[in-house]
Amino acid sequence: MFKRSKPGGEVIGLLLDSVAAAQSATPPWRLAPAGWEDVRYAERVDPFLLVKAEIDSVSERLRRGILSGIPVLERAAEYFFKLGAEGKRLRPTMLLLMASALSTVGPPADFFLSVDERPANIHPMEQRRRQQRVAEITEMIHVASLMHDDVIDSANTRRGLMALNSVFGNKVAILAGDFLLARASVTLAALRDSEVIQLLSQVIEDLVTGEILQMTSTEEDLLSLEFYARKTFFKTASLMANSCKAIALLGGQPAAVAQLAHDYGRHLGLAFQVVDDVLDFTGSALALGKPALNDLRSGLATAPVLFAAQEHPELLPLIQRKFRSAGDVDTAQRLVFASRGIERARELAAQHASLAVCAVEAMPPAATTHALQCRDALLAITERVLTRSK
Amino acid sequence: MEEASTSGSSVDGEFLENNALPATSLAVEPEGKGLSSSVSSSEILGPVVADMQQLTVNLRSVVGERHPMLMAAADQIFGAGGKKLRPAIVFLVARATAELAGLRNITERHRRLAEITEMIHTASLVHDDVLDDCSTRRGKTTVNSLYGSRVAVLVGDYLFAQSSWFLANLDNLEVIKLISQVIADFANGEISQAASLFDTDITLQQYMDKSFYKTATLIAASCKSSAVFSGVSEEVKNAMFEYGRHLGLAFQVVDDILDFTQTSEQLGKPQGQDLATGNLTAPVVFALSHPHHGAELEALVQSEFAEQGSLERAFALVHTAGGMSAARSLARQEADLALEALRCLPACRAKRSLEMMVGYVLDRVY
Repeated sequence: MFKRSKPGGEVIGLLLDSVAAAQSATPPWRLAPAGWEDVRYAERVDPFLLVKAEIDSVSERLRRGILSGIPVLERAAEYFFKLGAEGKRLRPTMLLLMASALSTVGPPADFFLSVDERPANIHPMEQRRRQQRVAEITEMIHVASLMHDDVIDSANTRRGLMALNSVFGNKVAILAGDFLLARASVTLAALRDSEVIQLLSQVIEDLVTGEILQMTSTEEDLLSLEFYARKTFFKTASLMANSCKAIALLGGQPAAVAQLAHDYGRHLGLAFQVVDDVLDFTGSALALGKPALNDLRSGLATAPVLFAAQEHPELLPLIQRKFRSAGDVDTAQRLVFASRGIERARELAAQHASLAVCAVEAMPPAATTHALQCRDALLAITERVLTRSK
Repeated sequence: MEEASTSGSSVDGEFLENNALPATSLAVEPEGKGLSSSVSSSEILGPVVADMQQLTVNLRSVVGERHPMLMAAADQIFGAGGKKLRPAIVFLVARATAELAGLRNITERHRRLAEITEMIHTASLVHDDVLDDCSTRRGKTTVNSLYGSRVAVLVGDYLFAQSSWFLANLDNLEVIKLISQVIADFANGEISQAASLFDTDITLQQYMDKSFYKTATLIAASCKSSAVFSGVSEEVKNAMFEYGRHLGLAFQVVDDILDFTQTSEQLGKPQGQDLATGNLTAPVVFALSHPHHGAELEALVQSEFAEQGSLERAFALVHTAGGMSAARSLARQEADLALEALRCLPACRAKRSLEMMVGYVLDRVY
């Protein structure tokens, strides 16, 4: 009676294709389709600025929504949202830009920039408000899953700061996550759109699936690029893909366009995650000026490591034992840098970024100048995802 | 306390889809001392035996088939021990309202709803056990005790996610809204309970609200949703909500009384947890307003039982101040309101079972 969507099967194919492509050592931007000018989108428009006022309004509504009357929970939620301050707001920005990119009515009226004070269970009559709700729901689901993941993974740090559960305890993290998820559910139900409800419920399921995959991985899984791709789809890309699609559907777009929005989100999400994995090696933790290597320390073998292992099979046993033996982390780091692992991971990210670009360019022509600007902004985001350094 | 050994399922020759097993094989757990012999749960579940069997099978496969790692946890939580009253109520309301609507049988949607109800209930229990550090529930070791809080959080999240997905696929906006509200109520209930521990200013109304959020909300919403799927009138749908609400409240009040009166063995979980942890329930709320004993009780609660023997003294005071009997009256009141709400239903075995359910809940303390 109930169909289940297939997990990103295309992703796996893409991943394996990109391995082949990367071996021809072409510079990353050449993997993009013909027609992508060399002019950098990011120079033309700042995607975050374009929708800043609206993002502020949505964030404020979100913040007010977590006022539960319990000081510790409020502090916990605020701590968490602050954790996400840097480079975040990516999801809501992407979503509101998508809404505008597909819109026929020009930039949203000032009214829509004010904070919507209606309770979560009230159905918003205005299309733009419903789209803003998707941004809100997406962020709530994302944060809730991170809070629970930290408990599940017994994490001590997230992004170099103490993880929520370390600061406030597991119970607060669990309860805060449940609270956010509950609020997201009510907000979602109030949209009164069956397909959107199904899409975002699928996301919730996919996030758990991703976590279960991670938790129950066999030694064989750990070595597999395919497993990594699947897990990444569930843990990161599904949320971005399905929320983009939801935005398009709420904007009255036909299925084909909604699917393009889905593709944009999916490829962007994958690019984002792979770059995240690279930065864990090449970025630098604030205090130490050294790479965080959080993934290695948590026993996770990400794209750079999996690529490096193809050149250095001596990495395989380390991966299988999740870098638990003394010196494993250092050895892995050394071998990754001694290989083309990072380079190939960047190429993979670039290929996904270019596919995200393709998706936007395949959309029907923008209806207004503002919509066109927002399309450019969506493209600029794909660049920023690749070039960010933290 | 013996279970009735008759196979109540075939009494009126009601058609059952499979060969129903005798009622005794439902593995209903033994009851506490307070249970009268007037009604057993196997009698009540008679009309829905086959429905419940199918439910148990489906629930285990929902969890176990897709993620073998969770299978062990699934057995722990969906195995024998829990009476699964909530989905049973969904099935009974389904059958009674289907009768009213002239449907020949209950639908797949009713079945999914029952499964969703039990999944949500279980998800909340699994997380609650982590939050309360409980090591036993329903007489068995909790998921968090056996596998750690990490797995417990994941299992709870998994059940919640599954139920959200199933709910979304039922594709009925009214039901989606009803059930999503339950989830929010659970979170709100947990939060407001945490916020008001040892708070002696609690009023009876606040206690009732808390009880609604904790327990009654799911029963009320699932009853109404069951009626929605039968396609009955607004009046009947609301009546089913009221039945669920009052039954749920009665259930919670009884649960709160039993926390004081039963031993750990009977409860399947530690005794006296509520008062000890500052969760002030009906007996205490009533006792606090006692003209003579209230003040001393208040002081003890506010001290958070720092002193040796103060908890025991508080227990005794609650009894002396008539907290138990007042709470029992409250439970009876709610029970009566639940029965009243059933009046719109046609006479049938399912309705009879819903009535008996009220008696069953009350019997635990009478």
